[in-house]
Amino acid sequence: MKVTTRDDVTAWLDGLSERFTLIAPRAVEEQVLYRPVAGSSEIAFDFSRTDLPVKEYFLPATHVLLSIERGEEGVSVEEPSLDGEQVVFGLRPCDARALRVLDALFLEEEPVDPYYAERRERTALIGLACREMGEECFCTSLGLAPDDASDVDLMLTELADGYAVQVVTEKGERILGDLTLEEVEGTPPKPAVREKTPILEPEAWPQHFEHVYWVRVADRCLSCRLCTYVCPTCRCFDVRDYETPNGDIERLRAWDSCMAEGYRRIAGGHNPRPTKAQRLRNRFYCKFCYYPRDFGPVACVGCGRCISQCPVNVDVVEVLEGVAAL
Amino acid sequence: MTDKIRAKARELLESGQVSCFIGYEEGTRGRVRPAFVYDPQDADRLIWDERCTHNLAVYLHQFQRPPRRGEEPPRVGILLKPCDSRSLNVLFQEEQIERERVYVVGLTCQGVKVNGQPEERCLRCSERVPLVYDLVLGSVPKVVGREDYADVVRLEGLPPGERLAFWMKEFDRCIRCYACRQACPACYCFECVAEQLDPQWMGIAIDVPQKQFFHVMRAYHLAGRCSGCNACEDACPMGIPLSLLNRKIAREVETMFGYKAGQDAVTVPPLATFKKEEALPL
Repeated sequence: MKVTTRDDVTAWLDGLSERFTLIAPRAVEEQVLYRPVAGSSEIAFDFSRTDLPVKEYFLPATHVLLSIERGEEGVSVEEPSLDGEQVVFGLRPCDARALRVLDALFLEEEPVDPYYAERRERTALIGLACREMGEECFCTSLGLAPDDASDVDLMLTELADGYAVQVVTEKGERILGDLTLEEVEGTPPKPAVREKTPILEPEAWPQHFEHVYWVRVADRCLSCRLCTYVCPTCRCFDVRDYETPNGDIERLRAWDSCMAEGYRRIAGGHNPRPTKAQRLRNRFYCKFCYYPRDFGPVACVGCGRCISQCPVNVDVVEVLEGVAAL
Repeated sequence: MTDKIRAKARELLESGQVSCFIGYEEGTRGRVRPAFVYDPQDADRLIWDERCTHNLAVYLHQFQRPPRRGEEPPRVGILLKPCDSRSLNVLFQEEQIERERVYVVGLTCQGVKVNGQPEERCLRCSERVPLVYDLVLGSVPKVVGREDYADVVRLEGLPPGERLAFWMKEFDRCIRCYACRQACPACYCFECVAEQLDPQWMGIAIDVPQKQFFHVMRAYHLAGRCSGCNACEDACPMGIPLSLLNRKIAREVETMFGYKAGQDAVTVPPLATFKKEEALPL
């Protein structure tokens, strides 16, 4: 394996932060979040998983798609594009896989989403293997591993006194630049994995659609949007036009959530999913039945954020086991 | 206590007095969660211990509608701590729930804990006995906290610019997931200002101005109605100190009107009425 020292990595990251927008885990109050950092000193290296996923850098929570300005010369339309290039450091394998899941819809289906495509194209991903599976993690049930390098450009694995480095793509090779690597005997340590949760195949889901199970699980659901906003693969959005205070028009795209009551309301006021049980059921069917059927991958990577954050303990692992037992 | 709760729930369900009993059950990964018991045989799922933080009063809204058109709405039994009982009083005052549709099993409370640590609100709490109940379980605890608003006063002491900066930094982390609103028994509007489409007051952007507007708006709408159960702060995934905002307003209401939310089921709250002597000179 190729290895490097801690000091070399921090110096290398400092260099990257000068050339690119470096996005890395950073301590924000009590949490660790992916945030732009000015250098390696701002990076939280000691974390299990960030509290929010990295998706906001590919599908921003709020994004001006275009702005229409009225000037002396008439009307002009501008589509703001991403400034420069981004490098994400410290991506966990589950979060990297989540981007592949989003690719299936945004890049591999027509029409390609140009905003997502631009960000994906202009971002390099530096993975950081998990030391161990976190308390709520179940990535192995989704076919991943805590040290899975298949979805990043460059993979780092922590060693006692440095990092093992694995170049995965050409983009990774370029990002690596002049980071000194030394070839040594051995392989990076393997994190321990735990038993997998059995997950029903997409075809097996429709038979349970009308089961009262969903109503019972939803009894305690608060019908908030938390699980969808902390989810690395939830990707629903809304688009609206607004007039800015100076009279220009902006077309905004912002996250939306299928857990919100108004999400499916249509003109005339009819709501095809009026109950929270229908909405909660839809979220699970979207992830484990509709998305794999329509786009390929299961829309869950086992990061466990919804498990740790749900205020009323709607636990996706428990639900998966529950559905399998129906 | 757990045995008594189970026995009462079983009795209420068996006798048909209620069609559902709302309490707490053991969840996954050492957590406790709200439980809905429909069958007397399931009453043994119910538990009570210091991890039971949720304010269950929020779930009464979902039992307001009859199961089928023309039928009566269901009667429910519910387990309430003293702080939660104040929320129920607010709902009675606002005629959201009819008294006879709820059987309240009240619990005296020593305070609840999150991750083994006492909740801050419990250290400030002086009400250890529920204010509304059909049956009360437990003895009157000796521990009594005191609300001195020390943290609110500290924040009030900062220059306006620093106060604004403090809140902007906190609101910046908000993701507009509305967990705070959904966990709040007093937030029951059919259509929230934050999501109203016509007129659209806030817009869909998840940006600091919208977040600030939302939280300030919500705090104002809870003036004289927030009973301090802190379900909003407990639900927040981003650790925003919403209790500071709510208690600031509660303190103002207390100072101006000598009123504390949810003390009984009949008083008209100060912001829902107007007294002649409150008129400002023209």
